Amino acid sequence: MEQKDIYELLAEKIGAAALGFTEAGVEPWADVAPDGIAAAALFLRDDARLQFNQLMCLSGLDWDGYDENGKGKSVAILGYNDDGSVESSDRVGEGDLGVAYHLYSHELKHKFTLRVRVPRATPNVPTVSTVWATAGWHEREAWDMLGIHFPGHQDLRRMLLEESWVGHPLRKDYQMPEQWDGVQLKGENLIANPFPVTEPDPVDNSAGDQPAEG
Amino acid sequence: MATEEHKVTKGWADQDHVGEVKSELLELNMGPQHPATHGVLRLLLHTDGEIVYKVTPVLGYLHRCAEKIAEGVNYKQWVVYSDRFDYLAPMCCNHAYVTAMEKVGGLEVPERAEHIRVAVAELSRIASHLIALATFGLDMGAWTPLLYCFREREEILNLLERISGGRMLYNYMVPGGVRYDIPKDNWVADVLDFITMLENKKLDDYNNLLSYNKIFVERLADVAVLSKEDAFQYGCTGPVLRGSGVQFDCRRDDPYSVYDRFDFDIPVGLGEMGTVGDCWDRYMVRVREIEQSCRIVRQALETLPDGAYQSIELKKIVKAPAGAAYSRTESSKGELGHYIISDGGQTAFRNKVRSPSFCNLQVMEKIGVGLMVSDLVALVGSLDIVLGEIDR
Amino acid sequence: MEILTDLFRKMPGGDGMSDQALLITGAVVMATLMFIVMALCAIIFTWMERKVAGFIQNRYGPMRTGRWHGWAQAVADMLKILGKEDIIPAEAHKWLFMTGPILVLLGSLLAWAAIPWAPGFVAADLDLGLFYIFAVSSLVILGLLMSGWASNNKWALYGAARGAAQMISYEIPLALATIPVVMATGSLNTQDIVIAQQGGIWNWNINPVHNPFLFIAFVMYFIASIAETNRGPFDMPETESELVAGYHTEYTGMRFAFFFLSEYANLFLVSLIASMVFLGGWWAPLPFLDGIVPPAITFIIKGVVMVFLNMWIRWTLPRVRVDQLMHLCWKVMIPVSLISVVGAGFWMILFNQV
Repeated sequence: MEQKDIYELLAEKIGAAALGFTEAGVEPWADVAPDGIAAAALFLRDDARLQFNQLMCLSGLDWDGYDENGKGKSVAILGYNDDGSVESSDRVGEGDLGVAYHLYSHELKHKFTLRVRVPRATPNVPTVSTVWATAGWHEREAWDMLGIHFPGHQDLRRMLLEESWVGHPLRKDYQMPEQWDGVQLKGENLIANPFPVTEPDPVDNSAGDQPAEG
Repeated sequence: MATEEHKVTKGWADQDHVGEVKSELLELNMGPQHPATHGVLRLLLHTDGEIVYKVTPVLGYLHRCAEKIAEGVNYKQWVVYSDRFDYLAPMCCNHAYVTAMEKVGGLEVPERAEHIRVAVAELSRIASHLIALATFGLDMGAWTPLLYCFREREEILNLLERISGGRMLYNYMVPGGVRYDIPKDNWVADVLDFITMLENKKLDDYNNLLSYNKIFVERLADVAVLSKEDAFQYGCTGPVLRGSGVQFDCRRDDPYSVYDRFDFDIPVGLGEMGTVGDCWDRYMVRVREIEQSCRIVRQALETLPDGAYQSIELKKIVKAPAGAAYSRTESSKGELGHYIISDGGQTAFRNKVRSPSFCNLQVMEKIGVGLMVSDLVALVGSLDIVLGEIDR
Repeated sequence: MEILTDLFRKMPGGDGMSDQALLITGAVVMATLMFIVMALCAIIFTWMERKVAGFIQNRYGPMRTGRWHGWAQAVADMLKILGKEDIIPAEAHKWLFMTGPILVLLGSLLAWAAIPWAPGFVAADLDLGLFYIFAVSSLVILGLLMSGWASNNKWALYGAARGAAQMISYEIPLALATIPVVMATGSLNTQDIVIAQQGGIWNWNINPVHNPFLFIAFVMYFIASIAETNRGPFDMPETESELVAGYHTEYTGMRFAFFFLSEYANLFLVSLIASMVFLGGWWAPLPFLDGIVPPAITFIIKGVVMVFLNMWIRWTLPRVRVDQLMHLCWKVMIPVSLISVVGAGFWMILFNQV
């Protein structure tokens, strides 16, 4: 089944919660309102014409600063300035958060993509872990990394980071904390660098990365 | 964490004058450092003697913030991070990422590069499955297949070193092609020789020594059966899903690269030694997949076209137009997917890695219950997880 | 030990020694000898194990230490282990922790007293020889339990529990399997058992033509001996891949060496018993060799062959799970051993071998 047709069926089912279908681009997707996602998930899984029995991927997203040409830099973990301070993000954290669902049907061999957008202040997306069990861990990771809350999830706690970690690292406005658990994360070079940093000699790379002949 | 009170209501409790025997579940840590957990995985077990009542995987010991880094370095630079996910089949991970990036970016890849990519990815897959067999045998107490499989893997590593410069982590593929062309020192002929040897002799070795060994089969048959429905629910893919009888393989059902030109079978678990979906089925699927990968390598290299090996010179900047796409490939562990959102620049806006081992591991919480501790080790081995992928 | 006491009497000053003193001196010398042999066997068998493992796994074992095929590797290992720090976990039960390995070693060592190396050359000529051996090797179980419990480590406890269950269970088929031989010989005295097998390989107790039930008993004995020494397919108590190291996880340095020593001493012990009870002890396979090769050497060679067989099996087969292990013992091996006892008896009566 074509994704457009699937969207039509979905829109019939959940009515106003189906916010639109975007076809332009590499992969089409459907936008759904957060309060409709639970019903949508059940429908997509159980309807005989759709039978989306596998949730391929559930991705947490932070849309802060997304536009087609420029985005503010988010802090790369390795972004240290020369004086040892952490290169800080110039995002102030205004954009929405979101979740993307990629579904696949093993029986009918079709795919579907859903997206949900929630405001940053109240990022609540109803859980789909009761529909597809795999969402249990994916949603935990989205909570851990982006702070998206999934009401209805039985066990929403951090997945990859320690429980005591503060902050949600994949957010665009995430600042590295000064210290965690007694370990200094910022400041001057924590380990004395025995090799002074000098400007490297210019290298002629015009030949490209080629291995030696022969 | 509090231990639960667990009432043992077996024979004793039926006698009035004895009353109910109360006991607590033993809380055990199959800790981050453990020879059987295939990496830094922590399994929190609640057991009653040998029977496991609850198993909770605790992750994050190998988290290296790769997805955050993807937002800081450009598309070409991030290839080196993709190796580090499934470090036992790094070419497959490279392949997954560059395929996804090219889908978003709309990049063309020359035919020759595609064939080379398929060949090295399949070699990597063979290497990964060899390790899966080897470590699985080791977990079950068979010390010798480990050395035999590593002997073959050593050959593969040598071949891949000749083509990419690295033994284990290659950084070989780039968006638009591969980094280097095939070396001029008879590489293709050596690969074909190796494949022939593997097919004709070595697989029989492994099967004779380990696969059909009665003790091995007794350990694995009917242990930790994963039903088809559970596999779908938990998003299991790869040999775990195929071991439960589902013939699904991204290379055939969602073809990418040039896999649609090659002829290969999809082995599934048939319940030969026990139930469909038990540990032995998952193990045997991997053994048979080695054979199929050999076929693919042979076909890819025998029909290798001439031409360019990359469509974009390495110096050029690679940008992708704004958009998003989810692309999945069949890594040795399962469906490795990337959801890349681009904003028109050189750096990804979001790169979400869908890792097969992450989903496969979750299944442990369900089917690990009721097993014995030894069976749990068998289950972890049969799921063939790699912590690099799980934690990213 | 008569040989030794006779020797002492012949030495200058030996005439004046009382019987008591002679006995004690003889015992001390014998014990020291046994200890030296045991230490040597541990060293040699460590090396042999690594070489055998290496060759089975398509590689050489140690090759460097000592130039020729790394024969000094075990010596180097022993020296290294002596230099390690002795760590006792803070919460461990100190007394039990320290005594455990001693008991394990003791259990292996004491049984060597009844092994007949050559005609007349046995440390303790007991009429209950074979019985004494099995009785005393049970001390190992006690030591094992003590070590596992005292380590204050749940995984060590697992290993100890499994190990104790396994060893206790497998002692039964082990002992039962030797009963047909005792019936055939008519004596528990280890020297008598060997003497009765005089006359070359045809007269060995393993010969299925004389009594097929003795052959079945040998197979039972061999399998039970692998399980009794916690080796090979039956090494559940110390499975590296599950329990890190089982009951000896928390042990370091010399204490760990005790476990190590006792494993190889035990291994050699059960192999020697197999050679003694089933394979003719110190008698050579062909009678004319009896004069050429010293009997002790023949005996030791047979022991080494059995050890090699044991190692071969260990490096080939995967591990048996605990419940399957117990099932094998109680539901398969004990019935077969009992059948072999009864069958052997009937056979002997039938064919007038009594």
